[in-house]
Amino acid sequence: MRDDPVVEAVDLSFRYPGADADTLRDVDLTIRRGDFVAVVGGNGSGKTTLCKTFNGLVPHYWSGEFAGAVHVAGTDTWESSVARLSSSVGYVYQDFQNQLVRPTVRDEVAFGPVNFGLADHAERTQEALEKAGIAHLADRFVWQLSGGQAHLTALASVLALRPEVVVVDEPVAELDPAAAVEVYERLSELHREHGVTVVTIEHHAEFIARYASSVLLMSDGAPVWHLPTAEALARAGELAEHGIPAPQVVEALARLGVEGVPRSPAEAAALVRTAESRGALRRSGPRTEPRTRTTPAPPARAVAAARGVSHGYRSVGGDLQPVIDDLHLELLEGDRVALVGGNGAGKTTLMRLLAGIQVPRSGTVVLDGVDTRTERPHRLAERAAYLTQRPERMFLKASVREDVELFPRSRGVPDVDALVDRILDRVRLTAFADRDGRTLSGGQQRRATLAIGLAMRPALLLLDEPTASLDVGSRDDVIAMLAELSGSIACTVVATHDMHLVAEWATRVVVLDGGHVLADTTPRALFADPDVLARAHLVPPQVAQLGTELGLDPLPLTVAELAAHFTTVPLGVPA
Amino acid sequence: MSTIETRERRGALRGIGSSQTSTPQNLMVFVLSMALFGLANIILEIIPDVTVGPVDVSVSYFVFVPLTLAALLNPFWAALGAPLGEIVFTDLLMGDFSGLAEIEGFIQMFLAIYVAGSLVRDPRSRPQIFLGAVVLVGVDKLLSAAVDIGKVWVGVEDAELVEGLPQSIVLLEGIGFGVDVVMSGILFGAIPAMWLIPALHGRIEPLLGMRPRVPGEPRPGSVPRTGWFVVVAVLAALVSFVFAFLEAWDLSVGTVDADFRDRFGDGFLWVAVGALVAVLAIASILFAVWRRRGDR
Amino acid sequence: MSVARVQRDVLSVEWVKLELIRTAYATRGGLFAGMDPRAVVGWYAAMALAPWFTHNLTTVACLFVVAAAAVVLARVGPLVLGLFVIGLVLELVYLALAATLFGGDLTAVVALLEVTAKLGVLSLASLAAFVSLDPEKLSDALLALRFPPAVAFAVSYGYRMMPILVEEFATVMEGYRLRQLPPQQRGLLGWRVVVHWAVVAVKAFYPIFLNTAKSVRTTVEALEARGFTFATIDPRGRAIRIGSLRLGPLDLAVLAVTAALVAGCYAAGAQWPLHRS
Repeated sequence: MRDDPVVEAVDLSFRYPGADADTLRDVDLTIRRGDFVAVVGGNGSGKTTLCKTFNGLVPHYWSGEFAGAVHVAGTDTWESSVARLSSSVGYVYQDFQNQLVRPTVRDEVAFGPVNFGLADHAERTQEALEKAGIAHLADRFVWQLSGGQAHLTALASVLALRPEVVVVDEPVAELDPAAAVEVYERLSELHREHGVTVVTIEHHAEFIARYASSVLLMSDGAPVWHLPTAEALARAGELAEHGIPAPQVVEALARLGVEGVPRSPAEAAALVRTAESRGALRRSGPRTEPRTRTTPAPPARAVAAARGVSHGYRSVGGDLQPVIDDLHLELLEGDRVALVGGNGAGKTTLMRLLAGIQVPRSGTVVLDGVDTRTERPHRLAERAAYLTQRPERMFLKASVREDVELFPRSRGVPDVDALVDRILDRVRLTAFADRDGRTLSGGQQRRATLAIGLAMRPALLLLDEPTASLDVGSRDDVIAMLAELSGSIACTVVATHDMHLVAEWATRVVVLDGGHVLADTTPRALFADPDVLARAHLVPPQVAQLGTELGLDPLPLTVAELAAHFTTVPLGVPA
Repeated sequence: MSTIETRERRGALRGIGSSQTSTPQNLMVFVLSMALFGLANIILEIIPDVTVGPVDVSVSYFVFVPLTLAALLNPFWAALGAPLGEIVFTDLLMGDFSGLAEIEGFIQMFLAIYVAGSLVRDPRSRPQIFLGAVVLVGVDKLLSAAVDIGKVWVGVEDAELVEGLPQSIVLLEGIGFGVDVVMSGILFGAIPAMWLIPALHGRIEPLLGMRPRVPGEPRPGSVPRTGWFVVVAVLAALVSFVFAFLEAWDLSVGTVDADFRDRFGDGFLWVAVGALVAVLAIASILFAVWRRRGDR
Repeated sequence: MSVARVQRDVLSVEWVKLELIRTAYATRGGLFAGMDPRAVVGWYAAMALAPWFTHNLTTVACLFVVAAAAVVLARVGPLVLGLFVIGLVLELVYLALAATLFGGDLTAVVALLEVTAKLGVLSLASLAAFVSLDPEKLSDALLALRFPPAVAFAVSYGYRMMPILVEEFATVMEGYRLRQLPPQQRGLLGWRVVVHWAVVAVKAFYPIFLNTAKSVRTTVEALEARGFTFATIDPRGRAIRIGSLRLGPLDLAVLAVTAALVAGCYAAGAQWPLHRS
């Protein structure tokens, strides 16, 4: 199969203008036609730059030092142009919203074919809409689309040029899990039924295991190896070193001493059962008591409460669209609350109401004993801090330090410098204090926004998707930091799609659906409740799914908890 | 650019990137300038104007926005984008569209930003930035004041016969010019720009894939043949006056041939359409010339 | 301040954003939204040029009424209309003040009023035509009229970007509102507060410059990859774009009625002439 390459790089090196080191260095690479490649690697390993050499953006758009050659479908990209290469390679960006330049979906998809003056532009547009499964959205305005629909529109718009290769940069980063699965299903269909070569940049081992047929590991601007998925996932240690921990089921089986590289919880369950029937594994009661919510003896103080709250926004058509509907919720001191639910369930609106940035249309929100209607927002900001989903929106100043000190200094807090130093030290950003927040890596940006929130010294800390678009290493970092905060913040609320965060950090989960509280429970109870999971479109972490498949009780939330359910029987000892 | 690596690259070096900006990068500066100046204008549009007596003391525009892009990135493309952003974002959308006067405004603003941006040779030099901002407003407002005065002369029948009118117009324009230089040029031009340009220097360029400017090096987007550019600029300035006066055309057409007008009332529609087509043709030629120049 | 806070539906940033979207994408419907954009541009040209052929105040006033009627038919939104009316009122106040300042002679005012009324017709016509015209159609019309593709693109992209930029600005301002305490003493006429917000509005541009630069980079890369530059050299794309434009009966009817009305205005002017003495 190696004899049919669609992308071939030989001795490729590239350096951005003004940079003092090569971003790509001596890359040799072959992608064969019809492959589904997952490109993995830590931040700054050159993944995105590599993919931009495929469609000629490097070197024709980014004119830096370019050495070596890239051949795409037999064409030397150096000799070609971005416009000509676009009929061979389509590129969907991580921030795909900025990729949409036309008002309606159909216009957007037709943009490429019309620009190239192709006579069959109408057929191509229709075909691309159908391939992406969004034909029913053709006449919508792009600003009416959900994130998943917008991503599929961006995909359709590159498919309209009938490329042989489609590159998708981190589809999971900006989408909720259900939408990410939808995007991957479409890519998989393109790959299977239309023979399109798919290249995705991906951090999440679960998606790699489920969809990719080969894995390319990048490090320091060059490929380390390019292997079929099963072989690649077997090198769990090496992947973990580059910030791609193995899927939880793979890790769990390794921990149990069961051979095999499962691609899904169902496969893992089958392997575990086989091991059990062979007598290599025996169930035991969990040896360590699984973590449960420790209910403090005295009734905890309510940090914030919503009573009969309803809220909504005016739509473009002028009618009121309800977002929160008669919602009751009380947040107690010591709570670590995860707010979950699909896009549009009202998570962000609820957090902004709780923080007093907005006031509800009806009902009351009481924050730290104060009705939010009676106090100005900047005064309420002294009680609750809301951290936006996009960290760069919180960077108002030219350095992290200035951003952190903005709030305490303008309020005349004594000894601001010491406070800021302490906070920066706590989020481990002292070394980056004088950099602009935007130049930091994703994980550092999150920690910087956390520092901004801490400097506000709130009773209630609200975070919107703090682990979105982070690689797994940075994500674990943020989760650990959130756990450390429990001492200084009375109550923390996190709106998230990340079920690992829910499983590992939260003591309480509030499931929102259509502006109502669908469930208010513990993570363990949530993951054991198939009805709520299905209604809110939630997918539990793999280890919890495996626990469900195997009928374990109590349901394990971490690999360690799963392992505690079993005793490994040494070889040769009769069961 | 030197290659400091411990080992040699294997592949043969095929290009090192040029110090000139490429077409897509120009497009990026153009779009950025358009979007940001448009945004600045929307903000100003929504804030109510303040008038003290007959003189408007409000801020006419945030000149630090186009000046920043012109000084840091590329004066030609920033100058081309900003007035277009003003037309598209505010004038068209907010119903401020004044027809032919837009073309006049476009040319004035283009010249002002280009000249001012070119004056800033070192983006870290605050005196140069100050000068740039004041010159920007000066050039733009001087041109438009001249046009305004001329317009009243031509637009009002026998303007000089109206008692006090010429003096009041000149005086008002003069005061307005002074206020604009102080408000738009210094308070909301030079002072923000002296802070913003050094703050963004070295920060915004990498986001666009460009190399930060080094003081004194040949600037990207400067015109290679200065003499030729001056000729075009002067022509453009003249054309801007022509457009301005086309609007106040009624002097000639209005007085000629009253009978003709009575008999062919709606025939004038076609005259109007014909005039518009002629104007658009001239504009297109101008745009085409600029684009070709910009590609170099 | 003891005034209880409420959720406001008008005069908030969200409202401004929605108004801009409604305006830009002509979701209100209206007469011109269904017309061929070239006919709308033609209509505009006719209305915009008509007042400049006369000094007869009756004709100018009639034209002003016709243009105002067109604005009503085009269902222009309250934000844009409000800004226009404020502008017009301020202009009149300005004229009155100018007159009192320079000897109280009303002839100068009438002279300037004539110019103002003519410019008013122009503004009303552009409100009706461009505000209710879908930017895509306007962009196609500009292409059809042989404007350079960059201008046509700028029109459609500008309209799409604007709500996003307004929201970005609102987010940054909200950040400042929550995190930086406004001055406690308001000062004479609240000058400290005015200065505070003026400084913040300027400072907001630092993050906006950088955030916008980042998103524009993706946009321009995507444009490039989908043949935007190619289309500026190759004429076929333009042919496809403007191929969908058709002049229909509505267009002809509107143009004919407008022509008749303009003729009527001139006729009225001839019947009851009113000139500046």
